[in-house]
Amino acid sequence: MGTHLVSMQGIRKTFGDVVALDNVDFHLEKGEIHGLLGGNGAGKTTLMNVLYGLYQPDAGKIYIRGQEVRIRSPRDALAHGIGMVHQHFLQVPPFTVVENIVLGTLPKLRATTHLEEEIGKIRALAERFGLEVDPLARVEDLPVGVRQRVEILKVLYRGVDILILDEPTTNLTPQEVDALFQSLRFMVDQGLSVVFITHKIREVMAVCDRVTVLRDGRNVFTVSLKETDEETLVRGMVGEQLDVATSFLFSGRREEARPRSFGPPRVEVEDFAVMGDDGTLAVDGCTFHVRAGEIFGLAGVAGNGQRELAEGLMGLRAVARGRAHVNGIPVQEGATREILNSGVAYIPEDRLEDGFLPRASVAHNLILGYHTRPPYRKGWFLDWRLVFQTAWDLIREYNIRTRGPHDIAANLSGGNIQRLMLARAFAHPMKVLIAHNPTRGLDIPSMEFVYRKLLEQRAQGVAILLISEDLDELLLLSDRLGAMYEGRILGILEHPPFDKYVIGRMMAGIPAETR
Amino acid sequence: MTTGVLSPTGRIRSWTRAVFPYVLAILVAFAVAGAFIGSMGFNVLRAYETILFTSFRTPYGFIQTLTKFVPLTLQALAFTVPLTAGKFNIGGEGQLIAGAIGASVVGILLAGLPGVLLLPLVLLGSVIAGALWAAIPGWLLYRFRISEVLTTVLMNFISFSLINYVATEMWPDPAAGHPTTVPIGKGGMLPNIIARPPLHMGFLLTILAVAFVYIYTTRSVGGYELVATGANPRAAHVYGIDVRKLSVLALVLGGALGGLSGGIEVAGVHHRLIEGLQSNYLALGILTGLIAKGNNLAVPFVAFFIAILEVGASALQRTMMIPGEMVIIVEALIVLFVLLSDVVKVGEGA
Ligand SMILES: Nc1ncnc2c1ncn2[C@@H]1O[C@H](COP(=O)(O)OP(=O)(O)O)[C@@H](O)[C@H]1O
Ligand SMILES: [Mg+2]
Repeated sequence: MGTHLVSMQGIRKTFGDVVALDNVDFHLEKGEIHGLLGGNGAGKTTLMNVLYGLYQPDAGKIYIRGQEVRIRSPRDALAHGIGMVHQHFLQVPPFTVVENIVLGTLPKLRATTHLEEEIGKIRALAERFGLEVDPLARVEDLPVGVRQRVEILKVLYRGVDILILDEPTTNLTPQEVDALFQSLRFMVDQGLSVVFITHKIREVMAVCDRVTVLRDGRNVFTVSLKETDEETLVRGMVGEQLDVATSFLFSGRREEARPRSFGPPRVEVEDFAVMGDDGTLAVDGCTFHVRAGEIFGLAGVAGNGQRELAEGLMGLRAVARGRAHVNGIPVQEGATREILNSGVAYIPEDRLEDGFLPRASVAHNLILGYHTRPPYRKGWFLDWRLVFQTAWDLIREYNIRTRGPHDIAANLSGGNIQRLMLARAFAHPMKVLIAHNPTRGLDIPSMEFVYRKLLEQRAQGVAILLISEDLDELLLLSDRLGAMYEGRILGILEHPPFDKYVIGRMMAGIPAETR
Repeated sequence: MTTGVLSPTGRIRSWTRAVFPYVLAILVAFAVAGAFIGSMGFNVLRAYETILFTSFRTPYGFIQTLTKFVPLTLQALAFTVPLTAGKFNIGGEGQLIAGAIGASVVGILLAGLPGVLLLPLVLLGSVIAGALWAAIPGWLLYRFRISEVLTTVLMNFISFSLINYVATEMWPDPAAGHPTTVPIGKGGMLPNIIARPPLHMGFLLTILAVAFVYIYTTRSVGGYELVATGANPRAAHVYGIDVRKLSVLALVLGGALGGLSGGIEVAGVHHRLIEGLQSNYLALGILTGLIAKGNNLAVPFVAFFIAILEVGASALQRTMMIPGEMVIIVEALIVLFVLLSDVVKVGEGA
């Protein structure tokens, strides 16, 4: 075997009662792209945070180039040649690319500091690794894909030869993903080593040399890509929790023999514009419709007005221009209750902030938004007997781990909060569903569950507006698919199969050619 | 892991877990106060005995405790009901005074009416006056988003001038050496439910108010919305609850309860408006609400306990010459320890 470049042995890490990592081994070889694959909560980020010095392990040893080391901080990690790019990166938006990159490496950064030399270095690095970026551009003007390149350059500039990327493809267009993968190849060809964290098997198949699969904080296996296939990886990721053979998520989309038929439009949006929090138009003239029995997917990089669109349609924001009808109700600020009561279910993007009542009971949470109509409402009062009965049923059906409907919701763990929100949305009859990133943060069985529920509702004639940052999810589920960019819908593909590169171009701001 | 029915032992365990910090807080508070009393050279055990058992030794002591219980409970509810929706009503005092004025105005102007008419009108006058007094901060909050913490306190100060004006300018009783109005009509006075020692009907009204608050907050649609708003106003808003209107409603409800406490002081205790009738009920009410951790159902029990301490405090002063403030210190320490036990629990990540 010889010595590994990095060797982590028997790593254990707990957070209170949660065992995030349990006796995990991980070995990185020089010049490889090593995938770290697992569902949400598998422990991938935690494992790499340990290597990067952000967390101290409870047990286990770390060897770098054969030497046992203790990494107490990211500074230590950098000194050992290890750099990490997190999912959420810290940049100073008004600063230029070069300023962001050198920040913290020069003794002092002043307006008069001469950065020519640094600019040259960065140009050279960018050239070498195919990370094209203008060093003098302001970061705030750059799309997410380029900002990520900046973040990678920032780490490379510090002279690391081990690069850790945590879910780097989130919010990239397919084109940007391809470019990133190409850069990673350039890097390993020149002797760097890369740890690539992802929960997408396709990405592992596309770019990795080897892969380590984690599940529930434990090693499942480590294999070379040459010796494995998709199905093995799927089974490794989900174990016995999910019947892979019948899984919708993994068997993919099966096209119906004949085109599906749809009902009348239930969501009609015309030149709709909504103000954002900063006083500019976050939604600037959207036109689309969603018919009964169809899933209308809306792709887009986060922050292009999706949130404001969903909130606008729910009557939570002032309409600046245009018109919209949801389930026949004219949309305007303050019409939220009327919209909900007409049979609209809403799954907000920020479940904790926008949908969760921590200081109320589980039962309170399960009827939020449904409490002013039958069957729960009886005159001035709520039918609590029915509420509790329903709550018990939902707790069972959705596998919510709680002591009962009367328990304070703050006692629930993150995954259980998610399931509670889904139970609330899916358990009540609806005609329209507006769902924003409904599977974000869910583990694989729960994702599968949500997909099945969405299809179930569609089959029952519900009009579904599915806003998502996960393009794979949209490609899998949508009947029609649009893409949002800077508050507008740049194009709508009218039927599957969808070309993800066409969507990718629209996500990057290039309108679809009219066909 | 079972997600099934909560076992009886589990229920008991969670109940003891809730009560344990209280017991501990009370014990520690008494221990600290005992150390003070002892260091001042008094008999500590006799002091404890006086504080805890004065209420139960004589019928008079017990009735006195129940009489104190009334304003304490209502003032505490005036604080905890708005708190259910996340609003801080520090204006219970002003609402009490407004309620007392409302009751007196009705009771004096319509003094000739028979009791069946006058008494309900007097009480209604107090409830409406208290609700209106709280509606002003409510409106300022709704219209201009001015914090109710500030405005409810300011309304207290305004009420001091108002009561002074009514008692010295409008219907002054020249015989009293203190700003006082003439008495309200006989029909407006609360009858006693026990004759000797006298216990007025305000006690029953308070129990009714407690029941109303409990049923409203835990059973009704409006109460559900109060709880949801208090739990997370943003989520409540997203799911169609008019959070701003509800905040006003919460303050007005609190004001109505505060007003009722003033009405009962007039109709049941003084039978006239007297400057200073609000006593220190606001502070004790908030203290009670804090010890109850905002739980409306816990309020009457805590209020009863505080009433025992208060009655004990005056006996302490009378019979042992120990300053009654000692008891305020005990009460404050209990609040401190109860709140501290929460902090400790959060620190454990429980
Ligand atoms: N800072 C933290 N505090 C508490 N729990 C954490 C923390 N970080 C991660 N966890 C928990 O550890 C587990 C693994 O999380 P993570 O490493 O983020 O998973 P992944 O990156 O594979 O999605 C999860 O159950 C998560 O809730
Ligand atoms: Mg992660």
